[in-house]
Amino acid sequence: MTCSPTRPAVASRGPKSESPTVSGGAATGLRLAGAQTLALTRRSVVSEWRQLGNVVPGIVFPLLLAAVYTHQFTRVILLPGFPAVDSFLDFVLPASLVQSVSFGATEAGTELARDIENGFFDRLRASPCMRLPLLLGRLGGAVVVAAVKGVLIIAIFLLFGAEIAGGPAAAVVLVVAAVLLVIAIGGLGQMLAIFTGSQEAVNATFPLVFTSIFMSSAFFPTNLMSGWFREVAEANPVTWIIDPVRRLILEGWSWADVGQALVVPLVISVATVTMAVVALNRKLSSS
Amino acid sequence: MTDNVVIEASGLKRTFGEVVAVEGIDLSVARGEIFGFLGPNGAGKSTTVRMLTTLLRPTGGTARIDGHDVEKSAAAVRRIIGVALQDASIDPLMTGNELMRLQAVLHGISRSESRNRGAELLARVGLAGAAGRRVATYSGGMRRRLDLALSLVHEPSILFLDEPSAGLDPTSRLALWEEVRRLNSELGTTVFLTTQYLEEADELAGRIAIIDHGRLVREGSPADLKSTVGSPTLRVDVDPVFLESARSVLIGFGPERPAFEGRCAIGLDGGAARVAEVVRALDVAGVTVSHLELDLPSLDDVFADATGRRLEGAEK
Repeated sequence: MTCSPTRPAVASRGPKSESPTVSGGAATGLRLAGAQTLALTRRSVVSEWRQLGNVVPGIVFPLLLAAVYTHQFTRVILLPGFPAVDSFLDFVLPASLVQSVSFGATEAGTELARDIENGFFDRLRASPCMRLPLLLGRLGGAVVVAAVKGVLIIAIFLLFGAEIAGGPAAAVVLVVAAVLLVIAIGGLGQMLAIFTGSQEAVNATFPLVFTSIFMSSAFFPTNLMSGWFREVAEANPVTWIIDPVRRLILEGWSWADVGQALVVPLVISVATVTMAVVALNRKLSSS
Repeated sequence: MTDNVVIEASGLKRTFGEVVAVEGIDLSVARGEIFGFLGPNGAGKSTTVRMLTTLLRPTGGTARIDGHDVEKSAAAVRRIIGVALQDASIDPLMTGNELMRLQAVLHGISRSESRNRGAELLARVGLAGAAGRRVATYSGGMRRRLDLALSLVHEPSILFLDEPSAGLDPTSRLALWEEVRRLNSELGTTVFLTTQYLEEADELAGRIAIIDHGRLVREGSPADLKSTVGSPTLRVDVDPVFLESARSVLIGFGPERPAFEGRCAIGLDGGAARVAEVVRALDVAGVTVSHLELDLPSLDDVFADATGRRLEGAEK
């Protein structure tokens, strides 16, 4: 049946698309997308700040592990083939850094899944928010948290006597590499969040991330490993990131190492974020 | 479509696999109307709203909002509508102020303008004092009011409210109705309101469509709809052992109407003047009546007349 209007119209202000304050007026599409991304990033950072209990273990646990290993492995560094280091602390710094940021790396995915589960994502979708800021906003929050964690971990290691041969610039590279790694893992988490809409499904990837750190050169050099474990470790992208980062710490500045330390996580980040964007487009097109 | 029609659907349909949630409905809502979309849980109300607000693609038919196709011009539709969804939560970690600012940025509103408008809207819905508190500390009524304020931040000309008073206490419900009326009368906002509450539809809507099992079964103003039912409804509660005797007596006074278990209902031909006659007839038949009531036709009667069932929650 057809419903036809029977009530006379009341004075209306007309569509807001004609308003100068709405996109298409003063704000260009790009500026609006930037503003939306920033606003959603701010929301993610505020959420993290108000759930500090979720962030602290990601700092404390890697530091504890580093303290225990440094104490236990004092003679390991004397093994033939082990990189020349004054202390295991220098060797384990990149591992602790990667471990620390990986704790929150899936947050971009789990928080997105939470938004989908509880309907907040629909609130965003019903607004003129563009698609990319929907993802970048959550990633932005994870990036800020990872950068803060990275600076904290490095500062604490330096306080306890660690040295970075590559100097302050190498320390910056360390933090940037860690941030890129978080984007890579976060993009993967977001793709899963979009496909499943479930926080549990995204959280289930954390053991995989955590195990991949242990099955890399994070805590032991691959040249001293043997058999299938060595093959797995050498093929592990975490090793490809940790090795050049470690050389920057132990041996000094090298543009080749800087390139590898940044390009590997950058390529993975671009791949996973692209997959997340494609997944979002498909999801929204089919729903 | 005429310029006066701002929400228009033609053969709108949505299926989920084998399940048909909305089956080819036609709608037309004029600018400045409060349009009530009434139906029980699972009737297809929210699915229809999700299609009209671009959140769900129709699997058939078309829908236009102020001339913009919901599929082809979704971005344009989102700029002119305000949406408060029943199942869209509000981030409990954020404060009311923060959420207002976020919503304003999403709509491209400048920082200074959003600050003023946010404060004004929060004050209007009675949340000025709680604006700096996290939403986690809000009651259900406060959240719905914040939800309404958020949906108004860009001054939409068309507002979709999906079950706006679900779960609210009577005081909060009245306050919400008042605000919806004010938006409509003072600002001319067109309101598309879904509800399963008969009273809400009756109080707020100038025109109502009743949906059941994905199909529109009635449409019109509340008064017109009630007038189609005709005679008032006489409801009689009796002990189960007298139920059949009572029914056989009552159908002599008018057509039987749907009623809950343990109760008989008829449309009483001749109205209130015949109540005494009915009571005498029941007495002669030996039926002990525990409760008797006569109601003017209600939207529940309209729903019952159209579907053969009482609306969920309409009676205790």
